[in-house]
Amino acid sequence: MRRVAIIGTGQTRHARCRDDASQPELVREAAAAALADAELRPADIDAVLLSNMELFEGRAFPELWAGEGAFACGKPCMKVATGGTSGTSACIAAFHQVASGLFDTALVVGFEKHSEGHTQTGMALTDPFWDRAVASGALGNFALSISEYMTERGVTERQAALVAVKARTNAARNPHAHLKSPEVTVEEVLASRMLAHPVRLFDMCPQSDGACAMVVASEECARRACSRPAWVKATATRHEQPYLGDIDRRLCAMRTLRDASRAVYAAAGIIDPLAELDVAEIYEPVTYAELAWYEALGFCEDGGAGRLIEDGVTSMDGALPVNPSGGVLSTNPVGASGVIRVAEAALQIHGRGGARQVDGARLALATGYGVYAWADAVVLGAEP
Amino acid sequence: MSERIAVKHTMDLAWRYASGEAMERFCADLSDRRIEALRCGGCGRRYLPPRPFCGNCRLRMTERVPVRDVGTLVAWTVVHTPILDGRTGEPRPAPYGMGLIRLDGADTTLNHYLAEADPARLRVGSRVRAVWRPALRGAMDDILHFEVLS
Amino acid sequence: MIREGSIHIPFTYAAGRAASRFLVVLRDEGRILGSPCPACRRVLCPARSFCPRCGEETGEPVVVDPAGTVVSFTETAAGVFGLVRPDGADTAMLHRLLPAGAKWTIGARVRARLLPERTGSITDIEGFEPLEATEDHA
Repeated sequence: MRRVAIIGTGQTRHARCRDDASQPELVREAAAAALADAELRPADIDAVLLSNMELFEGRAFPELWAGEGAFACGKPCMKVATGGTSGTSACIAAFHQVASGLFDTALVVGFEKHSEGHTQTGMALTDPFWDRAVASGALGNFALSISEYMTERGVTERQAALVAVKARTNAARNPHAHLKSPEVTVEEVLASRMLAHPVRLFDMCPQSDGACAMVVASEECARRACSRPAWVKATATRHEQPYLGDIDRRLCAMRTLRDASRAVYAAAGIIDPLAELDVAEIYEPVTYAELAWYEALGFCEDGGAGRLIEDGVTSMDGALPVNPSGGVLSTNPVGASGVIRVAEAALQIHGRGGARQVDGARLALATGYGVYAWADAVVLGAEP
Repeated sequence: MSERIAVKHTMDLAWRYASGEAMERFCADLSDRRIEALRCGGCGRRYLPPRPFCGNCRLRMTERVPVRDVGTLVAWTVVHTPILDGRTGEPRPAPYGMGLIRLDGADTTLNHYLAEADPARLRVGSRVRAVWRPALRGAMDDILHFEVLS
Repeated sequence: MIREGSIHIPFTYAAGRAASRFLVVLRDEGRILGSPCPACRRVLCPARSFCPRCGEETGEPVVVDPAGTVVSFTETAAGVFGLVRPDGADTAMLHRLLPAGAKWTIGARVRARLLPERTGSITDIEGFEPLEATEDHA
């Protein structure tokens, strides 16, 4: 397998509604930004990978309609679909394509325009015999798992609120972010509208319109084109059983993410992730999930996540800043959200994070999450 | 930017899904108020809903085991914001309680409605019992919801 | 056992920069816009914001002719549909050929028939009809 690096990233402005641009135009905005960042032209790209949740926009073959915005005409182009992890999976597929020697460069673009469809309907069209009998949606499923997690680990609503405050404060330093609230307080989060006990408005990710792209390159191309490539050190993906009720202890166990992270740590030679990682961009659809991920990812022992957020360990000035971008809690165009995690991690290694840059970041983790059924993990480094 | 044009469209999506044998039998049993799980010969896990294969062991399951209509609340929430009902396309009126219920005799949990919508009266570990529809139809919603046993 | 059901899902698609302008000009001025690609020099119709082949952003849109040539066609139960390349454009657009009963050939000359009351939709063009039929009004 050849070494692979991310040599450029690009994002649109993310917002509740981007009705100034069609889907192909939005895709092109991100794709062109990534090419500009990599200082490459469309002709330099060998293959294109897309990520999108087509049922959210009710449009068959999004890879057909949006592909031309990703400069895909005349090139190999495919869409990768693994639920919420689609974006991270598309990145990993591109890494594999380049690592195998099949292509020297690949462009990944994830996109979503929630404003154009009805996301809840898309989420509701699950297993018709069993799941559709109960109106739970993503929100209900999160909330259910949270009651179990709070009971087992003793996490509090206040600790979850601290995650929301961190996300919105970090987002204020990210020019692309959708929701930015630098002044938000724990009290405001705790006073926000109850959606599904104990999940409040500020605990939950938004629905955003946006796109994110990255250029993936072989070692030879990366060394020629990029002064500071973000090297792909390890990747892992894990799949799980289909029904929420099948999965053992859900947030508490999170087998997919636990296994995927252990696999990438082993491959990248990481023994103590909290001490060795410089930054993490993790897919946290809800505040409580970020706490559960701290435990699943081995940033602390089980039951230690509340303390980690209280002590500011994962804040911008902490030992391991988590989601300097503001995370999914601040920006969530679902098909792009996984690509954004990897791109933001790469941005940190590139040293181009601007106001959200973690000083001297040399080892970064990015993760993807898809309704317990999938988890992806990627480790990027300043050294191959 | 000048005027923005939007194209509006309502999609009427119809479906017709085949259940497979295990789910067909499960639904037929519901109309007799009978619940059975399938047990994996490899790991011993008793699956509800019953399905042909254990995903973890990759084995075909054939052993049927009885399951009671009482169980334990493993997780719960009270939904306050309207969530779409996938059967009707209409939001279900809020607030309503939901839970993951491990029925006695099964190892996986069942996602269903709760009769109780007061967070103060719900806790992980509570015992619950199925409330059945008076005229059974052989579908998952033959169980209307679960009531909390005091 | 079969489980049947149905659901209604509302969608609102943004036409975006180029298509919005195309539809506004079609509605307000009854004219058809194309977009010139600065790299391959093709005029793309309907107008779009970038050239799919070259990846370049297109320039200021140009008005193409309502008259054009049938590139291909098919007869269906719902009517006759054709790919029509308007004069002044290098790509063809899919639309209805009117009237359905006419004898169609590849290379036939046609002209766009517009609705008198237009809403800003591609169906503001009712279809394309034989050029001879419209010459008296041209």
